[in-house]
Amino acid sequence: MQVTKGKFVSLLLGFAVCLLAAVPLRAQTAGATLTGAIAGPSGAVPNATVTIKNVATGKTQTAQADAQGRYAVANLAAGGYEVTVTALGFLKATSTVTLAAGGSKTLNFQMTPSLSLSSLGFSSSVTRGSAKEQALLNKRSRMLQIHQKLGLITFFPLVATVVTSFRAHGRHTTAAARDLHIGLGSATAGLYFATAYYAIFAPKPKGLKRSGPTRFHVAMAWIHGPGMILTPILGAMAESQLNKGEKLHGIAKYHGDVALVTAVAYGLALLSETKPNWIPGLGHKVAALLPFHHHQGIRDAMAGTRMTKHERQVFAALAATN
Amino acid sequence: MKFKSAAFLEMKWIGILCILFAFAGPARAQTTWILKQSTLTYHVTHPLHHAAGVSHAARGKGICNGGKCTFLVAVPVDSFKSGDTNRDLHMLQITRGAQYPMVVVRGKLPENELKNGTLHADFQIQFAGQTASFKQVPFQVKRQANDVQLNGTIPATLTDFKIPAPELLFVPIRNQIPVTVQMTWQEQK
Repeated sequence: MQVTKGKFVSLLLGFAVCLLAAVPLRAQTAGATLTGAIAGPSGAVPNATVTIKNVATGKTQTAQADAQGRYAVANLAAGGYEVTVTALGFLKATSTVTLAAGGSKTLNFQMTPSLSLSSLGFSSSVTRGSAKEQALLNKRSRMLQIHQKLGLITFFPLVATVVTSFRAHGRHTTAAARDLHIGLGSATAGLYFATAYYAIFAPKPKGLKRSGPTRFHVAMAWIHGPGMILTPILGAMAESQLNKGEKLHGIAKYHGDVALVTAVAYGLALLSETKPNWIPGLGHKVAALLPFHHHQGIRDAMAGTRMTKHERQVFAALAATN
Repeated sequence: MKFKSAAFLEMKWIGILCILFAFAGPARAQTTWILKQSTLTYHVTHPLHHAAGVSHAARGKGICNGGKCTFLVAVPVDSFKSGDTNRDLHMLQITRGAQYPMVVVRGKLPENELKNGTLHADFQIQFAGQTASFKQVPFQVKRQANDVQLNGTIPATLTDFKIPAPELLFVPIRNQIPVTVQMTWQEQK
């Protein structure tokens, strides 16, 4: 087939016209954007699938919402669309939207759970959160953390006070040794009462029933608390008697015994909260000596929570994968 | 004529029954499952301690339709007990359990995996005001009559839920807080 010059020019012109026509057409179809947010009753619904169907052509396009429930689809042709959202645990939601050429629209979805908490029989009083109660717990936690740290710090001057007590009485005692002992004892008492303040005044949730090591910890406080009040009083009396050159007599001679019981109770209270699992049996032996050892809470506390073989395997597997 | 009428009536009833069965078919395809009993245990580790909190208070429901099952399991955060009041209250505080009192698990799995062996479930957990997705978590399945027992471990971490690691003696606990799951589901008739 021979193409004449005139036909060739006509074809070329026709092709150019087609090209010119196509360029604005492409500009018209590209550019419309659809965005939106997908939420459920308790906030954003993440990773939902958004299916956009062009009503005229039947062509579908899918998009994935992000972790905050937001989605965006760009470069859509102008026209009517049916938008369907599916998400795990929610009923399918469908809506329609008309997009103008080059325009953008926002289409939000409020999803309805296919299975709801109320269908499980949980009442709203159980499922409803309380910012006020959370604030109370936050305050309690902050105070108990200070209590824990101060309690640990107090332990060191307490031990030093006990150690210096051996030079604070008897034949070889000196005023300087007694002063050191009194100074350390005073520091211990000051830190101790600051520690106690943060435990006593930490807000307590309604209906709080103590169990486990906490119960033991509080039981020990009933021993070392009065002990910490009595010890300095007896110590002052003993100091006064020694300064007068008298032999310890009366209740003052029990200063050392009371101090020892107080220090032991304090140490056990500290240990009850920090006892490593790898000290087996210690708790059982201590618990057996206590008059209230039959309490389940004490038994639980002393039993500790050693890992079972299966749990160790779980942790080993997780450690290997991380 | 009388014979024809009787035959016609018989045909009509057969037709009606066929239509009824045709509609009854898809209706029977949906099955509902109820969580009969469960033991959920979270594990936390610290260089000095291992602690575990246990809850038996989970409730759940599952609906299987068209070969796919969706399920919902929820458990109150404060139902987990570790044997120590202070630890439980601290857990409640650090996981914002008073503000977000429920752990909610929404998931899906193929219905044909509800048989003896291993199933792999996809689910999302809402906890501490955050949502974390877990994919293809394996569970051991044991089927007995209308009951299905599931055993598995959810490899949860503190960072999944943006929970700051609690400390004991200035040392934080490990990031991994695996949750071992033992559940018995019952098919509703």
